[in-house]
Amino acid sequence: MRDRAGPAAEAVTVRRPEAADFDAVVVGAGPAGSAAALELARAGHSVALVERGPFPGSKNVYGGVVYGRILDELIPDWYERMPVQRWITRRQTMLLSGDRSLTVDFRSQNWGRAPYNGATTYRAEFDSWLAGHARAAGAVLVPSTVATALLRTADGQVVGVRTDRPDGDLTARVVIACDGVNSFLGKQAGLHPDEQAAHTTLGVKETLALPRETIEERFGVTGTDGVDIEILGGTSGVPGGGFLYTNRDTVSVGLVLGLPGLAKAGLRPEEILAELKQHPSVRPLVRGAEVVEYSAHLIPEGGYRSMPRLGGNGLLLAGDSAAMCLAAGIWLEGVNFALGSGMYAGRAAANGLRSGGPAVLGEYRRLLEKSFVLADHKKLRDAPGLVLSERVQHRYPGLVCDLAEGMFTVDNPRPKPGLRRLLRRAARHNGVRMRELARDALTGLRSFG
Amino acid sequence: MADLGDLADPLVVVALRWADARARVDPLTGEVGTDPRGAGPGEADRCALEHGLRIAGATGARCAAVTLAPPPAEEMLRDALACGADEVLRVDVAPEDPRLPDSGAATARALARSIRAELGDPGLLLTGDHSADRGTGATPAFLAAELGCAQALGLVELSLVDGRLAGLRRLDRGRRERLAIPVPAVCSVEPAGVRLRRAGLPGTLRAREAVIPAIPAIPVASGQTGAEPPSVRAARPYRPRAKELPAPQGDDPRLRLLRLTGAHEEREPPRVVVTEDPAEAADELLAFLRDRGYLP
Amino acid sequence: MTQRYGDIAFEDRMSQVDFRVAGNAHIVVDTDVCRSCTTKACVHACPAKLFVPTDDGGILFNYEQCFECGTCYLVCDGGNAISWSYPDGGQGVVFRHG
Ligand SMILES: Cc1cc2nc3c(=O)[nH]c(=O)nc-3n(C[C@H](O)[C@H](O)[C@H](O)COP(=O)(O)OP(=O)(O)OC[C@H]3O[C@@H](n4cnc5c(N)ncnc54)[C@H](O)[C@@H]3O)c2cc1C
Ligand code: SF4
Ligand code: SF4
Repeated sequence: MRDRAGPAAEAVTVRRPEAADFDAVVVGAGPAGSAAALELARAGHSVALVERGPFPGSKNVYGGVVYGRILDELIPDWYERMPVQRWITRRQTMLLSGDRSLTVDFRSQNWGRAPYNGATTYRAEFDSWLAGHARAAGAVLVPSTVATALLRTADGQVVGVRTDRPDGDLTARVVIACDGVNSFLGKQAGLHPDEQAAHTTLGVKETLALPRETIEERFGVTGTDGVDIEILGGTSGVPGGGFLYTNRDTVSVGLVLGLPGLAKAGLRPEEILAELKQHPSVRPLVRGAEVVEYSAHLIPEGGYRSMPRLGGNGLLLAGDSAAMCLAAGIWLEGVNFALGSGMYAGRAAANGLRSGGPAVLGEYRRLLEKSFVLADHKKLRDAPGLVLSERVQHRYPGLVCDLAEGMFTVDNPRPKPGLRRLLRRAARHNGVRMRELARDALTGLRSFG
Repeated sequence: MADLGDLADPLVVVALRWADARARVDPLTGEVGTDPRGAGPGEADRCALEHGLRIAGATGARCAAVTLAPPPAEEMLRDALACGADEVLRVDVAPEDPRLPDSGAATARALARSIRAELGDPGLLLTGDHSADRGTGATPAFLAAELGCAQALGLVELSLVDGRLAGLRRLDRGRRERLAIPVPAVCSVEPAGVRLRRAGLPGTLRAREAVIPAIPAIPVASGQTGAEPPSVRAARPYRPRAKELPAPQGDDPRLRLLRLTGAHEEREPPRVVVTEDPAEAADELLAFLRDRGYLP
Repeated sequence: MTQRYGDIAFEDRMSQVDFRVAGNAHIVVDTDVCRSCTTKACVHACPAKLFVPTDDGGILFNYEQCFECGTCYLVCDGGNAISWSYPDGGQGVVFRHG
């Protein structure tokens, strides 16, 4: 399998081509790749956008919400043209412990108006739409084509990619690998640290059909408004979390499961999902719905600390291939980071091509550091560890639910207990030491605050 | 019998049907939902294209791919170009009549006229045996009628033998029929024997940039009603006629009634035989069959 | 875990997904290596349930309904038991509601 795209494939050494086929080759027509290709094509460079699926988005799975603010920079009136299922006007974080739950529920009708905040959309539609913009700007989309290996000169300069088509070598002056979480191209260049499994989670998702009116009734929204629910707990003990999003005629419910924990637990992903769907707080929302698709995809969850080097020698990485996905508790964002990093990679590459020099990596890093992409990741570098820690996963949901239960249970004729006493009792009951609690609160505050 | 190579400007046309094989039917409204992104040629059509490319290559003929479909079908034609088709043509679907592409005769008429007008008279026209969205397979026959040429439908093999077209067709009971096919002809092929080649990268890049010619469908005048699908005026659930049974004989009405219900009839209750020993189980089965007269 | 009434059968779940099955396998599992594997992590982790333990301690693998996610090669204990690659371009899973 060494000549196919996989962990065993190796870069191919070639002679430096006299003339490159394209100024740039972008691998992967996900949000990162299409943003990069769009930026390059707009700057007047010839770009090939190589995608292994029959159409952009056909291989991609996510939970369901695109936070599109960064699109302001790429496609000014994006919110009028993007294929949207529902605009998120209500966000919830749900803590599950046993059959109890505590939900934080926020609603803002501002998010249901221009310039909007986030929207649910299917990847088949969103990725195709974005790649359409890159095509319209002049990029050549090459679908149904797998980039199997990097083409490298003897001195290590990346000069293109090999594809799985006959006569499939494609040469370029710069290669941007937006090939997603498995990023075999990034691995061929030796950019990734080992131990990927420890920083990777498996996402499984069911798309469930429900009549539109039922969705609106159950989730308390109307028209094009929708709901985004992040779930902590409810993963049958496997470190991870869950999500539930509304589309027009379907809801997406899914789980994010840490690979090491899943491998150890001996539970199957769809069984854990079935269990989540049975939780008294979730079941009324999805009851009676019909599965229209079941899907799975990996997520790079390590954040800043597990990021690879971002490129070098004519190669740049963007999006999930550079682990730029923020999956920590109340956040599950990756598309916006992919869009941002892809756009900056395209911009840096375009500037490099114009000045004729290969020194694009430095500029790429600078652009990322100035923007939300690396700023957010740096700030939240401890969040993935915290969110996936044993305490947050197993003990805190219990603690919080105990606390709420203590406060809301009417226990007459005994007088109501004070909050401090409740906290101490709940902490003891869930095996949390006050010192740990204070330390985690501090890490949380530093990250999330 | 003429050879394909003998024709003045030999032309092989492959008519491709653009369909979404995973269309969803709404259980309540019966509305069919299709996704243009998931649509494309069926496997039989892909085999037809491969046959067309091979035969055109061997005889020096032009190979053209044609479809009667809306604009998103361009991607399918790009793939055909990438695989080596010399020309492509998209005939637009008349927007006012969505039934048109589903009516084999009208499809054939629109295709035949457009092919004649834009590409010339084909020496060989190839299609899949029937379209992926549960077609009847009648379109190729209508095409042959429109073009006034021979037809060989449902072929499992199609090849050139000494410059002549030879086909193989399935018959009942596993028999085969060998056909010597004169030109011009319409052939439809089953998804068997060949697989569409994988397009090379240079061809793919060229095809991605190519302009896909499209012509409007030739509207069918309403007088030509041969193409109209039959209209359904009323629909009722299936209610088979009641079956007549002879009334039981006898004087006592109570006994007659009992006999009707079968209450006092003697019958052997079903048994569940559980045994570890396969031989014993086999004996049991054989004994039962013998008992019932199925075995001597 | 209890299998509850109401959840659909695994085959029905998979039948909702569009797979364009390629003629050749993109993932090959060396069942000889699996025989000495103690965790059999793939059996539970693969979301498409494609790794089936056989009674001689090996693994029976079918590539047709694969999500191409990469979970199996990441959790696999047996080092080189799995030869993993993407299917040829255009083949394999096609998500419509990803
Ligand atoms: C279950 C789940 C839920 C999520 N929920 C959210 C959410 O709600 N909101 C959010 O913002 N993010 C979410 N994410 C994260 C988000 O999906 C990713 O961060 C984002 O898709 C990354 O974009 P990308 O362009 O870097 O990579 P991808 O979207 O993975 O795109 C990579 C592309 O490259 C192609 N490709 C890969 N290798 C090759 C090759 N060798 N040759 C050719 N083409 C190749 C692939 O087919 C694909 O199209 C979620 C992820 C998962 C798995
Ligand atoms: S984990 Fe790897 S070695 Fe173990 S059974 Fe699965 S495939 Fe085989
Ligand atoms: S890639 Fe994913 S779906 Fe395919 S066999 Fe491996 S774990 Fe299963």
